[in-house]
Amino acid sequence: MDSRPALPAETELRLITLAQQGDRRAFGELVRRHREGVVNVVYRMCEDANLAEDAAQEAFIRAWQHLPSYRPRSPFRNWVYRIATNVALDALRRERETVNVDMLPPVASQDGPEATVEGKERGEQVRQAVLALPPASRAVLVLREYEGLSYREIADTLGIPIGTVMSRLNYARNRLRELLAPCLEAL
Amino acid sequence: MTEHVTVWLGAYHDGELRGLRLRQVEAHLAHCATCRTELERLGALTALLQESPAAAGLTPPERFVAQVKLRLPRRPERPATQRALETGWRLAPLGLLGAWAFIQAMFIVAGVVLVALRMGLGGEVIAGLFPASQQGAWLTDAFTLSDAGLNDIGRSALWLLSGGGGLGWTLTLHLVLLVVIGLLYWSWLASWVVRTRIPGQQRIR
Repeated sequence: MDSRPALPAETELRLITLAQQGDRRAFGELVRRHREGVVNVVYRMCEDANLAEDAAQEAFIRAWQHLPSYRPRSPFRNWVYRIATNVALDALRRERETVNVDMLPPVASQDGPEATVEGKERGEQVRQAVLALPPASRAVLVLREYEGLSYREIADTLGIPIGTVMSRLNYARNRLRELLAPCLEAL
Repeated sequence: MTEHVTVWLGAYHDGELRGLRLRQVEAHLAHCATCRTELERLGALTALLQESPAAAGLTPPERFVAQVKLRLPRRPERPATQRALETGWRLAPLGLLGAWAFIQAMFIVAGVVLVALRMGLGGEVIAGLFPASQQGAWLTDAFTLSDAGLNDIGRSALWLLSGGGGLGWTLTLHLVLLVVIGLLYWSWLASWVVRTRIPGQQRIR
């Protein structure tokens, strides 16, 4: 879930207005504030930290280029997540041509030497199961489970109807329950 | 027992159900062990997903921001014609307001001038306003309405404006012009609303 504090709307709006006028420092502040969320979305989509950082930077560059057309009808976060999701899907498409997802390196554990082998294995199984989902369902799952967006926000972010959000999320969860059945039974 | 609510359990688990549907699912869960078990499994799956570690070894935030700023391309300038069109579009309501004021003034002035002319006061009034040397040919024409100074169409128009065709015609013409201006204004307002709402929906590539 997203534990980052929400930004005061007025401050963010001011930064967006300045950035729309070409203020790079204001845009840098927006990048700093949304970096963690964007990197996280892209990382959960592709499960590769290096690829995620590159793709996140690419997402912010696209956001800068399209910023004049942004209207604050929907939150900036949703808008930039949409770009990040598109960039992640593009990156995955490119990577798939050269790299087998099953061959991706395991992630480095943050828990240190005291972390159990069982926990590491389970984390790795979850990672592989999420990667096995179709990209469209994975995007919905990531935005819901890891970023805590509401269905309406997900619909707005991905430009799809709420009914589609629900069906993709149901599909993703059912598929994960099949793939992770041994882990779930062990819990 | 009512039909299982499996299809709604995900939305219930995420706190997305409202109203009647929420009450239906809650009522069903109160007496259906199967659906309660399904709901518990959804909770377990969410907990399991959180066990997947977040990305590690990321670039520090300030360095990441600096890298992005270095890669930012110069934003292409919009062409001058596009900027001019944009400015013109924004100023459209002012233009419509000006048109409305002009029409109102035209009707008032035309009415006053023609009434004055009919009463034989025009010559003295205009002569007082403009010295003889500044009076143009158009003034001469205006004062010789009954002569051949105006063609038939012009004379008819002034006849209508002066109420010669009846008050109804003058008012109708006046109202039609105001309605046209009103419609143009509402069209501008509608297009403004559309322009404000649509861009956020497009897929960005």
